[in-house]
Amino acid sequence: MKQNKSLETPQMAIDKSARFKVGDRVRVKDMPYLFYTRSQMYTRGVVGTIAACTYQDLIPEEEAFNLDGQVEQYYIVRFRQKDLWPEYPFDNDTLQTESPERWLELVSDESGPEQERKGSE
Amino acid sequence: MSSRSELQQQQEIIGSLQPAIHSPQNWNYEVAGPLYRAYMHPPHDVGGQYDVPVHYEEKEEEEWELNTYVTCEVLGWKGVWTAEERRRRADNDLGHTLYFGIPYYGRWIWSAAKMLVDKKHISLAELLAKIAEVKSRYETKQITRNPSDGH
Repeated sequence: MKQNKSLETPQMAIDKSARFKVGDRVRVKDMPYLFYTRSQMYTRGVVGTIAACTYQDLIPEEEAFNLDGQVEQYYIVRFRQKDLWPEYPFDNDTLQTESPERWLELVSDESGPEQERKGSE
Repeated sequence: MSSRSELQQQQEIIGSLQPAIHSPQNWNYEVAGPLYRAYMHPPHDVGGQYDVPVHYEEKEEEEWELNTYVTCEVLGWKGVWTAEERRRRADNDLGHTLYFGIPYYGRWIWSAAKMLVDKKHISLAELLAKIAEVKSRYETKQITRNPSDGH
């Protein structure tokens, strides 16, 4: 449903270009939660791959309160099931979920989160 | 109207809905970090939590469920709320006890009613009077119920 939005002309101005591209390794940030979130607990801190840059839309934290607020790039992130569930038996299985940009940080190598891209708001 | 003994029984059920983690001292002055974080966690984010296997039931929607669905969608179409707002209200705002306790579409209609009251489209007094009216009409109908009558 939502995927089709990328085909439409968004009436909301595209204010910034996508920070990540398909194939980038990203980690789901563990930001505070209060009142509402669309960022699943089981994905936090886990590294996945950008599978698609989908569309730009209101962020859940604001749309959930009927606020016509900030618009941000959304991504489909692909995780290895084994990275999400350590006891998962099959190596090749993956899980995809959707996330707005603010929940993701680029992973340049496996050592830790990249710092220099932070604080662009 | 419930009798006094029915109301006392009701009070016992309400008391039994206390959270599993409960200390005799309510509203403690300090809540340790991990426990605080658990309290603040939105109820609907259940993926990855431990649970027991449950019976899977293949079931058609009932009439009240379809009516609820249509009502909520029409409220969206009229611009009274957005889908994201509906999720926030029906999955988070109602709290853990209701989230786990009432049917799926019960959460939808609960949140639609709450939203209409919050946004002053209807008053709670008005809503309660209507519920009482429909309830008494329904109870009267139960006695002489026609099977073709959907309500």
